[in-house]
Amino acid sequence: MGVSLTTRRAFIVCTIRGSLALGATALLSACGAGTGTPAPTTPPAAAGATPAAAPTTTGAPTAAAPAAAATTGPATVATGDINLYVGGDVNIRDLWSKELLPAYKKVKPDVSFNMIFDEHALAEQAVFDRLAAAKQAGKPSGVDLWEATGRLQIGGEAGLIQKLSTKEIPNLDKVPKDAFDRFGGYGVPYRASSVVLAYNSAEVKEPPKTLDALLNWIKSNDGKFTYNPPDKGGSGGNFVTRVLEIGIPEDQLRFFQTQYDESKEVLWEKGWAILKELHPHIYNNGFYPPGNIPVLQTLGKGAISMAPVWSDQSLSYLAQKLLPPEVKLLQIDPPFAGSAAYLGIPTDSQHKETLYEFLNWLLTPEPQLIIVNRINGYPGLDWKYMPAEVQQKYADIAKAYSFSFSPKFDTDRNKLWYEKVVGTPPPTPTS
Amino acid sequence: MARVREAALGLALVAPPIAILLLLIILPAIQALTFSLGLVPSENVTFSSGQHLVRSDIPTLEVYRQLLASPFVIDDLRLTLSVTVLSVIFVAIVGYILALYVRFGNGWLPRIVRSLYLIPMFVPVVIASYAAVTFYVDRGFLASLFWHLGLGYTSPAYKPAGIVITQVWYNIPFAVLMLGSGLDGIEQELIDSAHDVGAGFFSVLWRIILPLNLVPLLIVLTFTFIGVIGSFTIPFLIGPNAPQMIGVAIQAYFSNYNQPQPAVAMAVIVFAIAALAGVLYVWATSRSNRHAVTL
Repeated sequence: MGVSLTTRRAFIVCTIRGSLALGATALLSACGAGTGTPAPTTPPAAAGATPAAAPTTTGAPTAAAPAAAATTGPATVATGDINLYVGGDVNIRDLWSKELLPAYKKVKPDVSFNMIFDEHALAEQAVFDRLAAAKQAGKPSGVDLWEATGRLQIGGEAGLIQKLSTKEIPNLDKVPKDAFDRFGGYGVPYRASSVVLAYNSAEVKEPPKTLDALLNWIKSNDGKFTYNPPDKGGSGGNFVTRVLEIGIPEDQLRFFQTQYDESKEVLWEKGWAILKELHPHIYNNGFYPPGNIPVLQTLGKGAISMAPVWSDQSLSYLAQKLLPPEVKLLQIDPPFAGSAAYLGIPTDSQHKETLYEFLNWLLTPEPQLIIVNRINGYPGLDWKYMPAEVQQKYADIAKAYSFSFSPKFDTDRNKLWYEKVVGTPPPTPTS
Repeated sequence: MARVREAALGLALVAPPIAILLLLIILPAIQALTFSLGLVPSENVTFSSGQHLVRSDIPTLEVYRQLLASPFVIDDLRLTLSVTVLSVIFVAIVGYILALYVRFGNGWLPRIVRSLYLIPMFVPVVIASYAAVTFYVDRGFLASLFWHLGLGYTSPAYKPAGIVITQVWYNIPFAVLMLGSGLDGIEQELIDSAHDVGAGFFSVLWRIILPLNLVPLLIVLTFTFIGVIGSFTIPFLIGPNAPQMIGVAIQAYFSNYNQPQPAVAMAVIVFAIAALAGVLYVWATSRSNRHAVTL
């Protein structure tokens, strides 16, 4: 007995000693591997509602391109089908495969789509690489319709994506102009979501309707408001952006949304001061739940009575009774940011005419209503072209939304928020 | 001749693990180290597309200087070290008490404890962290229990205390396993003869058990230290917004702030601290092995 125990112990000691150097080195190389973000670091809730925001900075490994091409290759054989590349969560897959495509089949029975679904839109860079490679090789890419955001414009400017106008798709004139121009007119914004203000109407009888009123409300209702850290989800992120925009002159906003220059960040100081001033009035003496969903849960438990939330997530939570029915949504003035999902047509597609017709149909009330009902999304169409009862139902949030900062400004904002708002710097600031 | 063939076979057998170690761990670690010294590799897009890079043709300590000049990073480091030291102390104390109880206790209760203490080992760390949050948070299980008893409650969740509690819970199985197997190796005759000459429990503990069980204790201290200082999931889920433990800060710098360079530099700092703990451990165990009674 004693012998075997000693042996077991010697074995454990040996194994552990051997793994000492290994484990410690792994710690270091975990940061050096450079193959992207490890899975647990993705803010769990942000993925669904935040359309891929950093098209140019995500260094997707180039090795993924041939892999993606290989898996989707067999599907792209020339059957005359239209290859549709969309990505997102399961709700988006169901929206297309169970609702939109069958609905169009009834309108145009002879047009058939072949959907290539990219879970969580992780292979967007791979599709882009595929388009670029096809152009270089002078061969068709096999991509006919592609859902993306910033990469549509990058691709468009490189001659990979068709520029669109009301000439090809007449219904584009019913789409909010800002949303269509956001990525240079290389895609059709067919659905959207935005951040809105959620409040518990049982506790808040007169909700604030403007940003100033909201800031005053927070200060006079201690512990009843919170938002998530800007790097952990778009709902808190867009609240922070909205406050930072207070210090940015109107004519500079476009720059913050599209370009990057670190020296302009001094314009944020006014916003940081306001957020720091709010800090002691935030829930639980200044606690920010780590994500879009944790904020919704805090609201659902009744611990707070107001918070910025994503429109689609909160509407789905209300529908599933995960939020009490007293919770109401409204869009403030000036509005929080939102964004649309865009569909673009590669220049080498053989089905352009068919697709123009399809996209024009997609911008009619019937399919738009499917989007509103099925995933609680905003329509791509301007709200005024939607049926009256939909307008009425969404009256408090059916308004224009603003746009978020460009990816590089966003990452700087994330870091500065920790330092300027929650961090406690010593009284004499260094460098 | 046979000896040469044997040597070649031996080399061939160790080649695959060495190759994996080299390609997946050592080379990336070296690249990370040189990157943190200002040498930005242009072929590594993840590194070279980072924001606020320090670029230099010769190695420079500028990245480290900037990091250590930031009061926020200092706060992060201070929190990391205090949480780590506290966790290690509590794990050692609780682990030792449990190990002694399981080794020397009689009856059915120690037998139950013997299987219960292993449970955290089989719970994935992310599940354990979520469980800790729902248990300790305001309006969580413990809060409502206290409320029913008419007691006040201050939640440790989202505070450094929450990290320490969860780390202790999670690290106990390893500590008890390690210390317990050390205690099993101590001959019962030694303890019996000490009792015979009139030694009480504490004098047996202090003069026989602790000295003979020193190496397992050192292993527990070192590995809990290294595990906690580099931990990510527990502080990410149950820690405060700010300051952050260094593992959480590294991730935030690496992806949320798009600043891989300071992230890598922080990893190097943690590595250096962990390596220091490793050196202490190797020195102590090899010393004790030389005059060893155990092992």
